[in-house]
Amino acid sequence: MNFDRSKIPQPLQEINFTLPEIKSFVLSNGLKVLFVQREFLPIIRMNLITGCGSIFDPKNKNGLANLFSMMIDEGAGDYNALELSEEFDILGSSFSASCNHDNIFLSVRTLSENFERSLELFSLIVQKPHFKDLDFQRERRKIEVKLLQQKDEPEELAYLAFGHLVHGKNNPYAFPVLGYDDSVNNINNDEIKDFYQNNFSPDNSHLIVVGNISEEKLIASLETYLNKWSSKLNLIAPIFEFVKNKKSVSILNKEGAVQTELRVGHRSSSRNTPDYFSKTIMNTILGGQFTSRINLNLREAKGFTYGATSNFSYYKNSGEFCVSTSVSTENTLAAVTEILNELENIKTGVTPQELNFARSSIVRKFPSQFESDGQIASNLSLLAIQNLPYDYFDKYLDNIRNVSIVEVNQAAVNNILLNEMSIVLVGDKNKLSESFVSAEIGEVKIINEKGELIS
Amino acid sequence: MNLLNIKYEKYKLSNGLEVILHQNKNLPLIAVNVWYKVGSAYEKRGKTGIAHLFEHMMFQGSENAAKEMHFRFIQEAGGTLNGSTTFDRTNYYEKLPTNFLELALWLESDRMGFLLPALTLEKLNNQKGVVLNERLEKYENQPYGLAWEKLLGNLYHENHPYSWPTIGYLDDIKSYSIEDVSSFFKNYYSPSNACLVVAGDFESAYCKDLIEKYFGEINSNELPSKNSYEIPSLEKNIQMKYEDNVQLERIYFAWHSDKAYTNDDAGLDIISDVLCGSKNSRLYKKLVYEKEIAQDVSAMQISGKLSGIFMIVATAKPGKDINELKNDILFEIQNLQKNGVAERELVKSKNGIKSSFIYSLQQIDNLADHLNAYNYYFNEPNSFIKDLKRYENVNNESVKSITEKYLIRPNVQLTIVPHVKGL
Repeated sequence: MNFDRSKIPQPLQEINFTLPEIKSFVLSNGLKVLFVQREFLPIIRMNLITGCGSIFDPKNKNGLANLFSMMIDEGAGDYNALELSEEFDILGSSFSASCNHDNIFLSVRTLSENFERSLELFSLIVQKPHFKDLDFQRERRKIEVKLLQQKDEPEELAYLAFGHLVHGKNNPYAFPVLGYDDSVNNINNDEIKDFYQNNFSPDNSHLIVVGNISEEKLIASLETYLNKWSSKLNLIAPIFEFVKNKKSVSILNKEGAVQTELRVGHRSSSRNTPDYFSKTIMNTILGGQFTSRINLNLREAKGFTYGATSNFSYYKNSGEFCVSTSVSTENTLAAVTEILNELENIKTGVTPQELNFARSSIVRKFPSQFESDGQIASNLSLLAIQNLPYDYFDKYLDNIRNVSIVEVNQAAVNNILLNEMSIVLVGDKNKLSESFVSAEIGEVKIINEKGELIS
Repeated sequence: MNLLNIKYEKYKLSNGLEVILHQNKNLPLIAVNVWYKVGSAYEKRGKTGIAHLFEHMMFQGSENAAKEMHFRFIQEAGGTLNGSTTFDRTNYYEKLPTNFLELALWLESDRMGFLLPALTLEKLNNQKGVVLNERLEKYENQPYGLAWEKLLGNLYHENHPYSWPTIGYLDDIKSYSIEDVSSFFKNYYSPSNACLVVAGDFESAYCKDLIEKYFGEINSNELPSKNSYEIPSLEKNIQMKYEDNVQLERIYFAWHSDKAYTNDDAGLDIISDVLCGSKNSRLYKKLVYEKEIAQDVSAMQISGKLSGIFMIVATAKPGKDINELKNDILFEIQNLQKNGVAERELVKSKNGIKSSFIYSLQQIDNLADHLNAYNYYFNEPNSFIKDLKRYENVNNESVKSITEKYLIRPNVQLTIVPHVKGL
């Protein structure tokens, strides 16, 4: 051996990375546009984000926004549903629509040479959707079956039950985006049409464009194709009732399950919280990446799981803190105990080494988050969705670098609430409940996927 | 197409390690990607899953990087990393800011050459636990999760290495000893059995010096002789039915098809798209859209070095007769063989595939993995154009003949039905 392998190679001089320039403008119909021009490849991606997600669903009509997002491309302009899809396919372009609690997303991906035509088709969907009764009936039946299939999926069930428990049973963030059997059944096609008239407007939308096109050409094309979209916004603001939970263990029974799908957490602040960057660093240390405390403990030390993470997620008007993993049935109690220990430990503080590691990892990873059009589009979407300033990414690294250890420790104290943890177990009740009752972690309840007690 | 013409440099170190370099200065990033020519197809029945378990052990530290440190070094540098195992190969990859190239090469070379001194029973037992849970999470505890394993077991003779899933069987995974793991390493993790790709923003001479420094001194060993396997075939249809913890009935069809990266393999990809790839595809339109007897239907060509599998999967809507789905699926296959496809259907598929080729060039780690794949299967890293040509050459006649050759043949039909509830 002609050199010492135990010596850790040091990096060369720091790299230069220039952020892509974000341009913003407003179309004459009021639609706000965020745009990044990229010339590497002849491709363009376009996302329309409209702030009318499922939190606006009227009572007993849960699932309306989602059904609207499924209906919007079922025929538009001169094309019926199948013809419309065919027109995108022939270009090699793709269109998709989806919905979450806060927003509806429409997106198009295309080669630059087919941008104009793809935009034309997109504009038909936005401006001249059909909402035919026949299509409505079919799409609604699709959802009804999907709701049935959810009962098979442990991750989905854990997500639903956790949402209901932490947000409380009268909170729009607790209600599933897909809705419930009976609420979906209550929706009629006129309500889809009303939704389009009242909720889907340039006023509550942002268009994100990333790709190989000049700003002038983009503006001209958007003005040409989207000028007829001007419906009036008439959104009824949802009412948020928040609950404060006591630490408890809720079991959703999946008889014969060999694993338990596990969630531990509580409601948390929304994105505009002043300690966002300290929370981010704290969570990176706690459970935000592979070498975080929770994963190293549960996976690399104990071998209980394929992976365990913790996460602060942000809605527009709320947020969640959640630890998630799945573990074999016999290790469930031990895994929950370890998670609770880690949550308690982080509140006693992190080490300077951990802070440096987290900071270094986040800062150095930054350039790789602007590699693909999809990544850039989702970064721009974040600005739009969370109402962040357009120089957010310019200041991002300084904001991360400036977080002190005192602030990280404070973030743990303020944001990890041990007495409010909802512990959700999707697994075999008969093999779980006794051990959890005797462990006395908190009241043990048997629940359904709506978080309701069942006897 | 110029875009798809990827410039590279390829050479071999004296120990046999293949090296492929591709410069791309769009962003200050580098991707390091190593393929070892070993996967679950190199295992034996009774000893399944070791290639994948071994992949886990490669992240457990080596002589100069303690347990957890492999992850820590890369993550502290702002990098991402992972690995994966298939029938045919195992890959390891990381993407980092370009100033950390040496770190990545140091770590990859340390586990290529100096893994065994750091191997312990404690690490092995820990990763067995992780892999057992991976299996429970992705197979046992998923609805329809055991279908793939049942299909493979019936398509292939029990000694064919595609007859078991890559993750392996629970009892086999539990059985491995330190000796099993270290002899697997000695057999297959030789520089002469690997190919290293570095792609991204680096200076060529500097990179080559580092590669020689870190990998040049690792000795190669003689590789085990390769087994050869007969091209598998079925003499008659096999029909199976299993109960699972599910709400809806699902039917799986599986046929033997062609190997990876052949012309027929591309034809089968296009056939899968014509049948199920979009709203207007034949089976989706008929079963999901018009008749509404299925909640979903999909088709896929899954291919490896030894053989391929063509699959169609459909989930029946509640109360719908699975036999009607079956008949419609078989009818469309016969229809394809007799009457072929319309030009417009081919154009749609080909344009979609062309777009996805171009989208796939965006991320340097993805590109690096492609170079390794083409080098392995075509012995030529710059094969994007050749690969796309396989699709462009598919025509009405080839669709008909491919359908006849592979799909008008005996197949495995697996039906998964909901548990019959007792009182």
